[in-house]
Amino acid sequence: MNNNEAIHTQTSARLGRLAATLALAGVVAGCASVPNPTPEDPWESYNRSMFQFNEAVDKALFKPIARGYRDLTPEPARTCIHNIFANMADLWASVNSFLQGRGHDGVNMLGRVLFNTTMGLGGCIDVASKNGVKRIPNDFGVTLGVWGFKPGPYVVLPFLGSSNVRDGAGIGTMTLAGASSYTGVLAIDNVPLRNTILAVAAVDLRESLLDADDLVDRIALDRYSFIRDAYIQRRKALVEGRDVAPGVSYGALPNYSDDNLPDYSDDEDDDAAAARAPATGTAPSAQ
Amino acid sequence: MSFLASRFRFTQLLQLGFCFLLSVGSSLSAHAAKQVNPQAAPNEFVETVGNNALEVLRNEPAAQKGDLNRINQLVNEYVLPYVNLEKTTRLAAGRYWRQASPEQQKALVEAFKGTLIRTYSGALSKVDEISSLEILPFRGDANADDVVVRSSLSQRNGPAVGVDYRLEKTPEGWKIYDLNVEGIWLIQNYRNQFAQQINQNGIDGLIDALNRQNQ
Repeated sequence: MNNNEAIHTQTSARLGRLAATLALAGVVAGCASVPNPTPEDPWESYNRSMFQFNEAVDKALFKPIARGYRDLTPEPARTCIHNIFANMADLWASVNSFLQGRGHDGVNMLGRVLFNTTMGLGGCIDVASKNGVKRIPNDFGVTLGVWGFKPGPYVVLPFLGSSNVRDGAGIGTMTLAGASSYTGVLAIDNVPLRNTILAVAAVDLRESLLDADDLVDRIALDRYSFIRDAYIQRRKALVEGRDVAPGVSYGALPNYSDDNLPDYSDDEDDDAAAARAPATGTAPSAQ
Repeated sequence: MSFLASRFRFTQLLQLGFCFLLSVGSSLSAHAAKQVNPQAAPNEFVETVGNNALEVLRNEPAAQKGDLNRINQLVNEYVLPYVNLEKTTRLAAGRYWRQASPEQQKALVEAFKGTLIRTYSGALSKVDEISSLEILPFRGDANADDVVVRSSLSQRNGPAVGVDYRLEKTPEGWKIYDLNVEGIWLIQNYRNQFAQQINQNGIDGLIDALNRQNQ
């Protein structure tokens, strides 16, 4: 724990300084022109600045710490820590499933939390997953979506990253209402202990995303667009419940009819004849 | 801290998912590579392709050590024959496809191929003997020529992840052309990036950008 405390203390100090300088830089860099506007992202100019700010903070602070944590901590310990935080999030996912009227998911997730908390030693071991109980991620932003709120424009929040108006409101509401996965931690009176846990949560989270981060670097033409579009698709899918409980027979799951699939027909219709011909001729390119 | 989570969760899921294409059906894996029959039912087809790729990968020490070049070769050999790269690229390019000359189209498919291989390979280093995949019951119209096969992959240290494959029936049989990882469609995720590059630097600019990444 000494290590973690050290990391944490360092974190706060560096964070403060960085935030001050970089926030200013971000605001000043504000208004570049947007060559390829997207309907879901009317605030792209601001968003890109904030994205750059977040990337800079990440590069200077979170990422190096996460790398150090990965190098210094044995994998079983990291997995345990990761599972404990995931287990806390699962509880709130369960609550949100109920709020959305997805009772089956809610029950499954609640069972998951109970199983992992007891048999999994406080969530340290994800015994539920090992026994085929799948995680159904959920949060209040999704609940608002299910209740009929539109996502609104995409927005990159300082430090928080990808969001939209609805999901941002969801995070805010839940934090104020004391119903986030960190509420239990925030209620700890021992301030150093509390801060240590929060720091460990942040480091754990960042560590778990290191590989994905590298992958995006290798495959994205434009990191900003890649992450934005992935976020928009993902949130939409969660609200529609498309990927709810894969493998669990679930009555309300929409049938996979064509209207649930991305519509590429724009190209297909106009291009049907032309498209078919090269399509048959693709065999060589697919080797 | 949820702020970081919201920022990165999606890319993480994406990565997890892409490795699942290659671990399809691992729990049932046979010892010898099974003959892939593109004329079979779509879910059987996906299962066999995934099985074979995973089996090969497990028996390849270089791949298990995370040698990306070797994994690239394996992906090229065992997965790409069943992927309709031309269609993936054409749909990602959208309306700009028609503006491209046949030569540009060919170059674009070839350039994007590198991205797709890296996408699969990057995550392949994570596949291990414990990864197992389940093909979910087929929900669509079995007679359709554009179908979705759904699957779910369980892995060593976390919960299962859902991956869907979109397939088209061609005269040679089924071909995969799009992939969904936890709600994120691959083609959909490249459409804006393609448009952006083309608007700024033309089709050749896009080809160059893709090729730069291939190096």
